[in-house]
Amino acid sequence: MQELADRALNAAQLAGASYADARIVESRSQLIEVKNRRPTALQEGSELGFGVRVIVDGAWGFAATAGSDMTDAERCAALACRIARASARFRMHPIVLSPLGAQRATWQTPMTRDPFEVSLADKIDLLVRATGAMQTDASIKVAQGALHFWDDRKLFASTEGSRIEQRIVHSGAGLCAYARGDDDLQWRSYPNSFGGQYEAAGWELVERLDLPGHAEETAATAAALLTAPQCPSGVTTIILDGSQVSLQIHESCGHPTELDRVLGHEANFAGTSFLTTDHLHALQYGSKAVSIVADATSPRGLGTFGFDDEGVPAQKVDLVRDGRFVGYLTSRETAPLLGLASNGTMRAESWAHTPLIRMTNINLEPGDWTLERLIADTDDGVLMATNRSWSIDDRRYNFQFGTEAGWEIKKGRRGRLLKNCTYTGITPQFWNQCDAVCDDWEIWGTPTCGKGQPTQTMRTAQGAASARFRGVHVGVGYGG
Amino acid sequence: MSGPAADPAAGRSPLSLDEARGLLREALAMSPADRTAVVLEARDESLTRFANNEIHQNVSARQQTLTLEAVVGRRRGIATTSRLDSSGLRQLADQAVTLARLSPEDDELPPPATTPVASPLAGFIEATAECTPDERATAVGAVTRAAHARGHNAAGALSTGASVLAVADSQGLFAYHPDTYANFTCTVRTPDSSGWVDRHRRDWRQLEVAAQGDIAIRKAEQSRDPVEIAPGRYTVVLEPAAVAELVAFLAWLGLGAQSEQEGRSFLSGRIGEAITGTDVTIVDDAFDPRSLGRPFDYEGTPRRRLTLIEKGIARAVVHDRRTARKAGVESTGHACMPPAVDGPLPYDLVLATGPHTLDELIAGTERGILVTRFFYNRVVDARRTIVTGMTRDGTFLIEKGRVTRGVRNLRFNESVLEVLARAEAIGREAEPTRFAYSGNGVVVPALRVRDFAFTGVTRF
Repeated sequence: MQELADRALNAAQLAGASYADARIVESRSQLIEVKNRRPTALQEGSELGFGVRVIVDGAWGFAATAGSDMTDAERCAALACRIARASARFRMHPIVLSPLGAQRATWQTPMTRDPFEVSLADKIDLLVRATGAMQTDASIKVAQGALHFWDDRKLFASTEGSRIEQRIVHSGAGLCAYARGDDDLQWRSYPNSFGGQYEAAGWELVERLDLPGHAEETAATAAALLTAPQCPSGVTTIILDGSQVSLQIHESCGHPTELDRVLGHEANFAGTSFLTTDHLHALQYGSKAVSIVADATSPRGLGTFGFDDEGVPAQKVDLVRDGRFVGYLTSRETAPLLGLASNGTMRAESWAHTPLIRMTNINLEPGDWTLERLIADTDDGVLMATNRSWSIDDRRYNFQFGTEAGWEIKKGRRGRLLKNCTYTGITPQFWNQCDAVCDDWEIWGTPTCGKGQPTQTMRTAQGAASARFRGVHVGVGYGG
Repeated sequence: MSGPAADPAAGRSPLSLDEARGLLREALAMSPADRTAVVLEARDESLTRFANNEIHQNVSARQQTLTLEAVVGRRRGIATTSRLDSSGLRQLADQAVTLARLSPEDDELPPPATTPVASPLAGFIEATAECTPDERATAVGAVTRAAHARGHNAAGALSTGASVLAVADSQGLFAYHPDTYANFTCTVRTPDSSGWVDRHRRDWRQLEVAAQGDIAIRKAEQSRDPVEIAPGRYTVVLEPAAVAELVAFLAWLGLGAQSEQEGRSFLSGRIGEAITGTDVTIVDDAFDPRSLGRPFDYEGTPRRRLTLIEKGIARAVVHDRRTARKAGVESTGHACMPPAVDGPLPYDLVLATGPHTLDELIAGTERGILVTRFFYNRVVDARRTIVTGMTRDGTFLIEKGRVTRGVRNLRFNESVLEVLARAEAIGREAEPTRFAYSGNGVVVPALRVRDFAFTGVTRF
């Protein structure tokens, strides 16, 4: 592999590249899905390919191909340079990269047990038992469970002398029960929607989640939602569980702090950001209870790595400190525009994609409330749990979220189960209405974050805890 | 093997017919399974991306995926690889057979079937397959220069690509289809407004990049100094891109047989009932000349033209072989890539057109809102087909039949079926849209809809 990278880099330099990097990625994946005790997907995938990224005449070019053929190394490097020259014809500002010394290192995801070494029979048996335990009520039409594992081995090399080998392992597991009633469909997931919980970890995640042990309660809640009252409409206090806060962070803090969005690079597709550079160190993004960091070193986070896909070491940086907006997610190209060095957030979906600024682990720092104490401290409101619907505008300003389940809070006590819970708001107003963050902190994986053209899917994470927000408009979407 | 005799894209597609046939034969020969099916998808895709009136990303990738499904007795395993050399194919076959032998018996496994050969569909355009980085740069350069000259900021992408889908099985099936695809999308921004275009064609020359850029510029200029209007119910004229975003949800929410059989579809228990307006007819038709579809599915079954909603009445859902066996019918040719966890899906929805031009839809509106597109649309209630999202990049006030000024973007919450039921006039020109995240497409006209529910407003 090293020889393939060297050949690509040499060919790029001979073709006129002032900078080049090569990424060779060998990936393995496994998906097991069971519905109603019956396996519905057993799939293994393997991929090998490489991409070459170059700067010629101050502009980017990128070319990639499947396989590891030596002759393709030269073809790809030459094509990347040709593409860069075409880009340069319509480039007004030559690209300047923030400085980076030669990095030589190896890194791999810490894990207790390699998930690919666990037998398929054991994996299927686990899901058969869990989905069987969910079939407790006639209204449960689909009891679904899934396990998903990825193993990426990456070699990064650059003309600046970097040589980095990484092995990144991600695991995911979860359950979902779908209940059908008279003209109604409700569902409940464990431990989160989007297929469950995902971590940079091995089989120990699956063991810790104990899917069979949570199956019955998950199904019972789905069935109960059919007869639960509708979430009321109006303005009230809400408490969001940690997994919902996680997605709120992802959409309303993670994306708007991506500096490429701020600079307009995503203006046609993902959108821009309300966090324009004049707001840096000036905007009170949230209340004093809100401090958010981007931490690529967090244990178990899907955004945890040794080096990003530009070879920049993993870092922990402030985005929001005591409510004040203080930082962006940056790259070697964008950081110098603010007089900064990259904080290492560039990642590509695969060898076939050029890296983009992506969330690492965007973590809300925990508070000292317990959830029980926070509920007891709330006179009137709604506790909402587990995302079901998420929408936010192209500047990450106006949002609407829905959750799978909710519970009314009356006089400090958790009351009736509520269905079809939704809430809406404006990002900085909402985070300024946050008056309490709990101590039930967890790092939640988001495995399907989309960005870029061609669209890239990335696995990111957010550390989050239950939190309370005052004066929020709830019950929208159903005529409220 | 039977199958296509001539290669419609010889030498210019990612894999020629002979190369694809040879690879699939070799893969099938390596599998000791009782039955084996293989799916090969290869794609050359290039994309020139621009922002702030300059090219900022410019990429090209050759990707290939071979999926092998092995059936041993009634046990099934699926493996996928990008390595198409002999050792990669050997590993692929071994992996799939190993998975099959370890898996429990599948009591819903469809029996072997003789699949007819699909009718050819001419989808390969040489000029698109051979479009160069310089040609793409020159095309987008004309747009960025025009935007820059007027003091605006243009961002977007021009993509061109060629792909091949080939399917074979150990029963003798062989199907091969090369096609091309091109897309130009552009957002032009001023300090307080934006305009947008998005065009999808097989022939990149038909994108008319410069003319589309001019439309984005015009929309951005027309929507300057937007006024804020209160949330509420308004008559709206939805351009085809806005309609496409809504109609596409029907595919995911219940026009596939798996969700219908599982009771999760909005159609479950409602086939034969009136579910939307009597002017609404939706078919799935890969062979519609405006569609960007393929002539067969990932099981090699020919795509069938299917009426899903006829004059407002739910008529059918699409099938693959597994759901068809369960329903006691034949596959309609809508299988997705194995393992197809979402079941069969309609890939080429076509909403029937009406008699009106877009100008006529606007002229017939006393007071309303013209919507260029919706953005970040997500399901709020699956059974009721309620979706929320935002207007974006060109939202206008219509007064006395004329577009008068831009309005600030609005959030909506609406049932797709109810929106279609409240459509009081339908456009006569339909545009194709292909969604990058799913690969499925729709062909839809503009609509004028009464009482469309906007529930929030944003400050830009």
